Amino acid sequence: MSTENTTSTELDELRSAVRDFMTAKADERAVRAAIDSERGYDDKVWAQMAEQLGLQSLALPTEHGGDGYGLVELTVVLEEMGRALLPSPFLSSVVLAGTALVAAGGDEAARILPGIAAGTTTATLAPPNVDGGWSLGGRGTGDALAVTASAGTDDVTLEGTAPLVLDGAGADVLLVVAGGPAGPGLYAVDADAAGLTRTPLPVLDLTRRIATVTFAATPARLVGAAGGAAAILDRVLDVATTALAAEQVGAARACLEASTTYAKDRVQFGRQIGSFQAVKHKAADMLTRVQVADAAAREAARAVDGLADAPEAGVAAAVAHAVCSEAFLAVATENIQVHGGIGFTWEHAAHLYYRRAKASQLLFGGPAVYYERLLAKAGV
Amino acid sequence: MPSEMDQFVAEVTAFLDAHATRRARAAEDVAWGEGEDRITYFSTDPPDVENAKVAAAKAWQRTRYDNGFGWITGPTEFGGRGLTTLHDLVYDGLEAGYDVPETGVLSLIGLGMIGPTILAHGTDELKQRYLPRLYSGEIIACQLFSEPAAGSDLASLETKAVRDGDGWILNGQKVWTSVAHHAAIGLALCRSNPDNPKHKGITAFVVDMTAPGVDVRPLRQMSGGSEFNEVFLTDVHVGDDHRLGPVDGGWGVALTTLMNERASVGGEGAGPVGRAVALPFLTELLRANGRLDDGAARRRLAELHADTLATEYLNHQMVRKFRAGEQPGPEASVSKLMYAQNLTRGAHFAAEIIGPRLIADTGAWGTYSWTELLLSTPALRILGGTEEIMKNILAERVLGLPKEPGIDTRSPFRELRRSAGATESRSA
Repeated sequence: MSTENTTSTELDELRSAVRDFMTAKADERAVRAAIDSERGYDDKVWAQMAEQLGLQSLALPTEHGGDGYGLVELTVVLEEMGRALLPSPFLSSVVLAGTALVAAGGDEAARILPGIAAGTTTATLAPPNVDGGWSLGGRGTGDALAVTASAGTDDVTLEGTAPLVLDGAGADVLLVVAGGPAGPGLYAVDADAAGLTRTPLPVLDLTRRIATVTFAATPARLVGAAGGAAAILDRVLDVATTALAAEQVGAARACLEASTTYAKDRVQFGRQIGSFQAVKHKAADMLTRVQVADAAAREAARAVDGLADAPEAGVAAAVAHAVCSEAFLAVATENIQVHGGIGFTWEHAAHLYYRRAKASQLLFGGPAVYYERLLAKAGV
Repeated sequence: MPSEMDQFVAEVTAFLDAHATRRARAAEDVAWGEGEDRITYFSTDPPDVENAKVAAAKAWQRTRYDNGFGWITGPTEFGGRGLTTLHDLVYDGLEAGYDVPETGVLSLIGLGMIGPTILAHGTDELKQRYLPRLYSGEIIACQLFSEPAAGSDLASLETKAVRDGDGWILNGQKVWTSVAHHAAIGLALCRSNPDNPKHKGITAFVVDMTAPGVDVRPLRQMSGGSEFNEVFLTDVHVGDDHRLGPVDGGWGVALTTLMNERASVGGEGAGPVGRAVALPFLTELLRANGRLDDGAARRRLAELHADTLATEYLNHQMVRKFRAGEQPGPEASVSKLMYAQNLTRGAHFAAEIIGPRLIADTGAWGTYSWTELLLSTPALRILGGTEEIMKNILAERVLGLPKEPGIDTRSPFRELRRSAGATESRSA
């Protein structure tokens, strides 16, 4: 795809359909119910997302059961999911695993992808490093990898412990970057594989489940080329950070709107607090951050889709990841401040956004990693 | 079949090839240690150099005008080309690839703000008289708005306009008037009725800057140069045919100007100043100072680069909206706030890397030269509406937050409290 093929009117229609769906299925009560549920998300809503709106298939390739749209279109969906704080395996299954499989190619990917597109299979991709990081260290030797693969292409087994796997306890298929004889490669493991232990962890962001996954002589299948993980991972990080940026923008805008509404409703000293410049300027700063983040996320989506007049994908994705992470965290923090004491209560939604903001910022390594990634992509 | 825009691009390219030279190297390439190292935001040129630059600017504007690019968005009956804002942006993008005289002295105030205001509010006679001369580079216009006691609260201005037969007599003082010393006309806001609330007693005039009683005195800026002025108006006579908009209806005229001001101050990312605080140049600065492996320096460089690029993306988004025929939202105001922040951070980052060699001129290339920008950046948070006023506007107009309660918009102007020293029309 190299030209804009969806008009802004069509994007608006998509947004409106997704927002209506989220309003009906993922209001704050539904989000809190999902948080308290065993699975961590409502699987009926997940199925309806696929059946009624086709969200899982939207940006996957047509040859794998997808609809062949790009990040530009998916951005609209992700913004609305972020706005609602929808608990779902969308980021892990469609974005992380889906992108990794498409990038890897081959029979194994072709086997898994249609289920992901249909929403009937959920998959995830484990962070490669022992510390939960996403770097191959630039050396390609697999030294810092959490999991190791045995030799051979058939009857491969995995050994090791992958920490911090997004939706790792619930996913039907686990994708793992493991050190193999030909260097780091991508491997797939089924949920019922022997020697697989999945331990759900307490989480900062209540709307996203994380697990530790241990492999002990666990059978696995190579996905794509042996030793091919480096290129796959680079693409995954560009796409996933761009997708995350869209979520962050949607959630940040929700915080801005909550603060604006509250500043108009809340009266102190006989005035709406939004008439005080201290509050007004805070709101304007929030708006400024959201607008810049919004532009960065959209530009990154255009770049990752390879549109003709867009900047280099790696640079734009890194900019979006940095700017949207900082913006969402700042806006979610100020949202609590604008609300005062009520914003610090469990009952108020402000902390759910704050939790999501902090966890999202650190999900792929955090500031120290994303600023260096930007410099690396810019050639510094 | 080439599109209409393709044809326009071809036409502009042919014009520029015929009248200017393409830049030798790409704008982002850095020639470290070579050539001019001054990083100037406000002019600090001596008068003869400045006058030569003004003459060159006027000549280049004349060339643009004669070839149909002097006023791309203007109506054809007043010398414009009748095309869209997108054509204007496309032209600017193409011209940036050529070495041409800098025309800010004409365009920032006169063509960007005063011209559109005369177009929106002037009589046909006034438009015919001034617009072709403005856009052909023959004359320069300035904006006689701010006063010593009316800055952020522009509507509290006190320069008096009193009826005098067929015309008006103006008395008062204006300040921060950029390019007044080159201007042939000025757009003046005056208090015509102090018994009305402040926004409803202002009248706008086009003033002949060479008329008797107009006294332009340069103001020296903290950065050393004198780009703006004080303008004293003493019994200046203006014909009623030079009034813009209705009597006491000048605030609506002012809003047209101010809207165009905010649109023109944002999006200045390109140019020598933008290049100095962009990644390629700052990377060379780190390399030259042995700091390319310094984690703290890299972190600040990356943060700055992320925000600079994101601001650029915001400008792209604005262009895409124009292209799609949509009205941009608050992008221009946000872009202006970000631009001031990024430039300021960039200058201070460079200063930190350079260290003590910045505080005295040792003659070393690219060190003391940063002082001009460092001394200019405080103005970026003030000019074209202070940061605080910009934030009020964003919060009130975009987010819909309530205005500060006050009596100043309802009471007669003459009853309002004003700063010490602001006395002019109080006793009127």
